[in-house]
Amino acid sequence: MTDIVDRHFEDGRIVVDFDQHSLEYQARSAELSHELRGKCPVTWSNNYGGFWVVTALDEVAEMYKHPELFSAVKDPDPTSNFRGIQIPDANPQVSSGFLEMDPPEQLDFRRVLNPFLSPAAITKWEPLVHDFTHACLDEVIEAGRFDFIDDLVNIVPAVLTMAMLGVPLSEWDMYCEPMHAMVYTPPDSPDLPRVQQMGMEMVGGLIQNVAAARANPRPGIIKALVEAEVNGQPLDDFGILGTVFLVVGGGLDTTTAFTSSVWQWLFQNPTEKARLLADHSLLDLATEEFLRFFTPAQGDARTVTQDCEVAGYKFSEGDRVLLSFAMPNRDPKHFPDPDSVVLDRFPNRHAAFGLGNHRCIGSNIARMQFKTIMWETLQRIPEYTIDDDGVDRYETIGVINGYKHMPTSFAPGVRQGPGFAETIATWQSRLDDEAAAER
Amino acid sequence: MMKPRQSAEVAMRVYVDESLCQGHTLCAMTAPDVFHLREDDGHSYVAVTEFTPEVMQAARRAASTCPEQAIVIEES
Repeated sequence: MTDIVDRHFEDGRIVVDFDQHSLEYQARSAELSHELRGKCPVTWSNNYGGFWVVTALDEVAEMYKHPELFSAVKDPDPTSNFRGIQIPDANPQVSSGFLEMDPPEQLDFRRVLNPFLSPAAITKWEPLVHDFTHACLDEVIEAGRFDFIDDLVNIVPAVLTMAMLGVPLSEWDMYCEPMHAMVYTPPDSPDLPRVQQMGMEMVGGLIQNVAAARANPRPGIIKALVEAEVNGQPLDDFGILGTVFLVVGGGLDTTTAFTSSVWQWLFQNPTEKARLLADHSLLDLATEEFLRFFTPAQGDARTVTQDCEVAGYKFSEGDRVLLSFAMPNRDPKHFPDPDSVVLDRFPNRHAAFGLGNHRCIGSNIARMQFKTIMWETLQRIPEYTIDDDGVDRYETIGVINGYKHMPTSFAPGVRQGPGFAETIATWQSRLDDEAAAER
Repeated sequence: MMKPRQSAEVAMRVYVDESLCQGHTLCAMTAPDVFHLREDDGHSYVAVTEFTPEVMQAARRAASTCPEQAIVIEES
């Protein structure tokens, strides 16, 4: 490692033409990761004002351990180098809540959310995910065709997110489309102003929900935020909104993207699908392997707080650094045969949920949702065909590796239970009763 | 706190470095008898006090898959 530093960094840097929003990255991110890592685990791209890109697991893990050197903060002053976790910073006015904070403030926010997202807390939501999966499937099972995304995996995580926030379940579709559009619209897209406008309207809806939670609190994350104190002070609306926005973003897009990727892979690999279907005990390890292979959130950016040397590499104050999750997940040093899906791969210390103090706070709920939706759907629809011509991938996967549409056909089956509207009503009434009991 | 069990050759113990654990939960998936998850934040702790060879073997397996490398195996 010291050799690499001496050779490349004291008298310059290895410059690569890397752009995580490019069509090339969308088409061949794994190969690019090998090319970059082969040159050096830490390279420099001149795109978007210039940034380091880190592609090897040891280096990324070490850097994520040092939030005091690699800051996630987004400075409201747009001229500051502290531009938060995305390169480029497409929405200087919108902060991603505590994802764009450092400890100790960031940890104060996590403490408010942790009780809702711990492994113990999420078990109560498994029946909801189960019921809405089947409700969505019952709506399409007789037709023998559906869009895996529009008709299933866009919906279930959105409904669950509403339930956890403590807002009416029927509001799920208010958030769905703007949230997805915000992650798949490239920063140079002519459509960006429209998407930003949709985002602002969604925020308007959130503001109303926070006001409603102050007036008439219902159990859930918004109520907890309204009642929370950080540093002995109640949160202002800005702090609450930033956090809710983050919960919605994390809740609505990543699980959708990930589950879609796996649905497609299982169609393309029927032998492995049969192996998984025959052995439910394989699902835990397989889920981790899918997470490694189809890493939904590609990585986060940081800003260097002071001149420093970490993992043998020198950085200067103000440098922007992209610490990838997806590319280290293909690091052959830690993952033999990294470009193959090995359902029972072990060990598998992947970085799909990030590393360090910003580890995805929803990882437990994401795993539970994925396993429940995928398993239950495969029980109802074990054989299916995806219409490749209709598969519509995100134009940029620089933020989230996902799809917009995935039309799927299968042999028609029979309904097993109530449809979607009735399931919304049933669950809303159950949650209302719980809320009344808590008063 | 934890009292290492003395074997004929070496004393061994395992613990979770709380400054490194971030609650990925893979240890509890791998070795559920050895690692439990805290109710409030899902971070891991060692739930056994007897560090038998079986416990140590399970702990080593869990340590190998920890994304934060937060599991410390001590053999002295």
